Amino acid sequence: MEAENALVRMHQDLQRALKKPAERRSWAMAIDVRKCIGCYGCTVACIAENVLPPGVMYRTVLDIELGKYPNVVRILKPMNCQQCDNAPCVPAANAVAPGSLEKRPDGVVAVNYERATKEAFEAARAACPYKRAVYFDDGRFYTDGTPARQAYETRPSFEYGQEWTRTAGKPPVNSLRKCHFCVHRVENGELPACVTTCVGEATYFGDLSDPESLIAQLLKQNRDKVMRVYESKGTQPRVYYLTDTPVLCKSQHP
Amino acid sequence: MTESTAPRLTRRRFLKTTALLGGSAFFLSRLGWPSELFARTRLAEYELTKPENILYTVCQQCNTQCGLKVKLYDGLAAKLEGNPYSPWNLQPNISYRTSPLDVATLSGTLCPKGQAGIQTVYDPYRIVKVLKRAGKRGENKWVTIPFDQAIDEIVNGGDLFGEGHVPGLKEIWALRDPKLAKEMADDVKAIWAKKTPEEKKAAVEAFKTKYAEHLDKLIDPDHPDLGPKNNQLVFMWGRLKGGRSELIKRFTVESFGSVNAHGHTTVCQGSLYFASKAMSEQYQKGSWTGGKKFYWQADQNNSEFIIFVGASPFEGNYGPTNRAPGLTRGLVSGRLKFAVVDPRFSKTASKAWKWVPIKPGTEAALALAMIRWIIENKRYNAKYLSNANKAAAIADKEPTWTNACWLVKIVDGRPEKFLRAKELGLTDEDRFVVLKDGKPIAFDPYDTANAVEGDLFVDTTIQGVRVKSGLQILRESASSKTLEEWSAICDVPVRDIIELAREFTSHGKKAAVDIHRGVSQHTNGFYNVFAWFALNLLIGNYDWKGGMSQASTFDHTGGKEGQPFNFAKLNPGKTTAFGISIIRHGIKYEQTTLFEKYPAKRPWYPLSSDIYQEIIPSAGDGYPYPIKALFLYMGSPVYALPAGHTNIEILADPKKIPLIVASDITIGETSMYADYIFPDLSYLERWEFAGSHPSITQKVQPIRQPVIAPLTETVKVFGQEMALSLEALLLGIAEKLGLPGFGQGGFGEGQDFTHPDQFYLRMVANVAAGERAGNEVPDADDAELELFLRSRRHLPKTVFDPERWRQIVGEKWWRKVVYVLNRGGRFDNWEQGYDGDYIKNKFGTLINLYQEKTALMINSMTGKPLAGYPIYLPLADSVGRPIEDDKQGFDLQLITHREIVATKSRTIGNYWLLAVMPENAIVMHPRDAERLGLSEGDRVKIISASNPEGVWDLANGTKVPMIGTVHLTEGIRPGVISFALGYGHWAYGATDLVIDGETIKGDERRRATGLGGVAGIHANAAMRVDPYLKNTCLVDVYGGSAVFYDTRVKVVKV
Repeated sequence: MEAENALVRMHQDLQRALKKPAERRSWAMAIDVRKCIGCYGCTVACIAENVLPPGVMYRTVLDIELGKYPNVVRILKPMNCQQCDNAPCVPAANAVAPGSLEKRPDGVVAVNYERATKEAFEAARAACPYKRAVYFDDGRFYTDGTPARQAYETRPSFEYGQEWTRTAGKPPVNSLRKCHFCVHRVENGELPACVTTCVGEATYFGDLSDPESLIAQLLKQNRDKVMRVYESKGTQPRVYYLTDTPVLCKSQHP
Repeated sequence: MTESTAPRLTRRRFLKTTALLGGSAFFLSRLGWPSELFARTRLAEYELTKPENILYTVCQQCNTQCGLKVKLYDGLAAKLEGNPYSPWNLQPNISYRTSPLDVATLSGTLCPKGQAGIQTVYDPYRIVKVLKRAGKRGENKWVTIPFDQAIDEIVNGGDLFGEGHVPGLKEIWALRDPKLAKEMADDVKAIWAKKTPEEKKAAVEAFKTKYAEHLDKLIDPDHPDLGPKNNQLVFMWGRLKGGRSELIKRFTVESFGSVNAHGHTTVCQGSLYFASKAMSEQYQKGSWTGGKKFYWQADQNNSEFIIFVGASPFEGNYGPTNRAPGLTRGLVSGRLKFAVVDPRFSKTASKAWKWVPIKPGTEAALALAMIRWIIENKRYNAKYLSNANKAAAIADKEPTWTNACWLVKIVDGRPEKFLRAKELGLTDEDRFVVLKDGKPIAFDPYDTANAVEGDLFVDTTIQGVRVKSGLQILRESASSKTLEEWSAICDVPVRDIIELAREFTSHGKKAAVDIHRGVSQHTNGFYNVFAWFALNLLIGNYDWKGGMSQASTFDHTGGKEGQPFNFAKLNPGKTTAFGISIIRHGIKYEQTTLFEKYPAKRPWYPLSSDIYQEIIPSAGDGYPYPIKALFLYMGSPVYALPAGHTNIEILADPKKIPLIVASDITIGETSMYADYIFPDLSYLERWEFAGSHPSITQKVQPIRQPVIAPLTETVKVFGQEMALSLEALLLGIAEKLGLPGFGQGGFGEGQDFTHPDQFYLRMVANVAAGERAGNEVPDADDAELELFLRSRRHLPKTVFDPERWRQIVGEKWWRKVVYVLNRGGRFDNWEQGYDGDYIKNKFGTLINLYQEKTALMINSMTGKPLAGYPIYLPLADSVGRPIEDDKQGFDLQLITHREIVATKSRTIGNYWLLAVMPENAIVMHPRDAERLGLSEGDRVKIISASNPEGVWDLANGTKVPMIGTVHLTEGIRPGVISFALGYGHWAYGATDLVIDGETIKGDERRRATGLGGVAGIHANAAMRVDPYLKNTCLVDVYGGSAVFYDTRVKVVKV
């Protein structure tokens, strides 16, 4: 047994962070690619948590094979909106749909479902270098095409601390949707769904401005292994990756 | 209700039938969701994390049985997460003493299937009313019928389908007198004990005379050891855990008096269990007995080096959630590295120090090669292996010992029984013998006073008796080939063999070999397992931290001191079931009156049980006898078994099996052939005691309990309202039949068994009591009691009645039951799994490196004795002949694999999982593709020598071609192709069915590509049918495994 449980530690870090005023928190995520086992627990937990429809997966996992038999390598790497501090999606979306995206002081790039139209989505998607970050809710349900639509996908989600029930013609249907670091959970003292569920214990979350937090210490102690995707594009993402093989890790989603 | 012709995407067509969840009252009531509501003001608190909206239970999306935290929204299971009290989901788990009021916002981990379980529970194709077939078997035409009517028909029989008389259970329940049954059972044992055929014959005649008035109760009076007609009721199950297993056995065996209650073990890891059982046999009162049906796994949280063989804990095994943390932490901290022996480059292999793409089926060759090298280079733990008995082990602070140095007699050139000290005149007592510095020494294996050690490599003659030590026999087996020859068989370079063996012997006790289906599901599975576990014995790592551990559970059936309800004493009407089982398990062919010649008509399995692939085919052959009724619970042998298609013909024929009753949550690939399907509760609506797995070192008992209201109809049995479920089915039949052990006084005087709660709550109390006096859990305090009641406020009285519960367990246990259920079971704290350098819950006794019991068995198909030591056996059919399909142009070896997003038969309706992986593929190496002229994305059909058409013949006019999509990868051994299990369905909501005259369309997302769907391929029907048995897959006749990985196939472009 290496250590205490990281979820317990991060849960404690979170309670501490919540004692600070909201604008003094600095949420960030870290993903240790060495530990990701490519299980897609995060993908599905997020769908379940946020009642996501077909076509929207805030969190995905890259599974890429390299090499030649028997010297094969497999990259397993999660990806979601990077909540960039210099997010290109924000000006791009707001240019076509004012007020659709907002960079919050705590680091999260938040979506205003009433304003983030299809045009906003298309502009954001074109501006974002990460792919697999912004999605569009086209109103479908998973249980369409079966004997009946089921309650687990007509129940409300609680994103941004409000109740959202997907109905034709009403937000979040026909809106841009993306990862928001589960702020509705976080502000209630609960870690994001992907962090909690992560089977490989690869996903970390916390207040980067708290030097006592696990995430701050993890990044500090592993400086030589930390990288961010598309660092050179200047987006200043808030998702950090830990890896022994940065070249391989830079492989992108197709 | 209105019919809508809205476009497909937004169609909300209201069904007339209420048989399915999709058309049931549940759905209709949910139409009231506040769909007009949006963007309310910010919530003060997130509803889903309020403690009173949280309940703990156990997942069943696979068999890992991880803990669950269920978050409820107005009675709906809205979100599933891991249970922080459970060591599956949080390591270390939070202290069991923590109040549930304090952990509402802390959850453990959970895999994608676990998260998607909501879609299993709320599957629109779930059945909620009893169905009776309206057409022929398998036609998929059904009518809903009242529960009471179905029970009446099943019990009384009659011309139920217009096809002739169907026997009811009252007919099959021929022998009802427990006293008579016990007498007959004893007399049958006496027949079996007779040594010569003449003596047996005479005993049979004597039996017939003695029981002349009761011969009509027997299946065949000339063969009384077939047992009573009661045995013609067969109860088979797929995924069954504790609680329900006792209920099924109570019903079938104890009360109805049939020996035929059988599980599915051999389709999972059969030979892994039964080889381990053989290694765990103990010597008591002159015979080998007490072998446990279990196995060992590596203590991955502490190991420094693991070799995973045919095991992928990041994708399947038992399971990713509980095993991955120990592995990923070890990788990152540098504590651990592991090797993966697997023809496929699994996700586990992707993080391995070494990937060994072995030729599937040759696993024992690699193990024996490693054993050879380890012995030659003296890298085994001599101290451990020299210990002959308990006292010697204790002196070395070893929890286990082996028979490595025990002397084995060589008779007719083969190792046979252990030498007994009596034979050398050393003593009159029953003792074994070792040689120590040339002198024979008698000893008792369990002697705690006199430590006896022996020479390790003995090959000599003593007083004219040829003997070898157990380790010498193993050495000779391993040295029967050179390293180069072993290497050529398994296609692992000698350099790699040596590197594996060197690394394995460089970490003291903190190294382990961890094996699973890739080792056991071959025709030589039993000996593959034995060879690999022998490697663990060479380093003596059993019961050591970082070595091999076994599962440890809190008992729920009440046999321990201090437990309030001893189920062994709670069936006053218990009878004695006797006779040969339909799968001929646990008995030697030669003992029975059916013994004629070799090969037997079908295999006999003295070392195994739960032989899934034998149940229906044996019924089809009427060997050892025909059956009258088959009950199937939560299982799909047609889909799950290799060559499962062979079961279809038999199931479809009412002459072969006159009555088939299924308990299922849907109409699946096997239950579609039933006469009656009784809807069951999903795992979120019911009880079970889920047990544990070997790699979990803590003592645990996860408890599955109702967390949402039942979605099935309510019925009345014994005057009590209860949900339609397996329990209602069994209690309903018991009521109608008047079966003892059920109803008023069912548990004993004044103790009724009229409601399922009376069964399960007693078991919870037993778990609360623990192992012995003083081991009880604390009482729940008032705050916890209030939480307990409040969090169940949405549950109807049919499944939750605190007064009834309190009355069942009694005042003394009530608050302890609350305490346990508030946590989803009972879990020792993390540190209680260890004891210094050891694992706390030890196996703690003799482990057989040489198996005398096995060596005295005869293979019922060849007449040859079994080897009692690890050997390499090439691929063979059930009568021991080689299978040479590869010489007939079947140039690819077919295996299967597990993707973490699918479980065998029951996740196809989980659309969130399908979003990640909508279809499986036929995974192939580019070299093979090039040779065959195939490219990525090509559609191909898989055919084999036993299925040249490449189809599933459903015996109802439909054939499902086994067509899938080629996916090229460098991550598979050339010559091998694989597909992921769980896809390519043709039932389970995949195709249309008719209920009450209304057609319900199937969903193409579930449907096999070969049927025009998009869900890929299920190619088990291409797996080799045994050429001798003709209606069964290839089998491991020693350990019983159903063979998945030894078929040669062709792929044909379509």
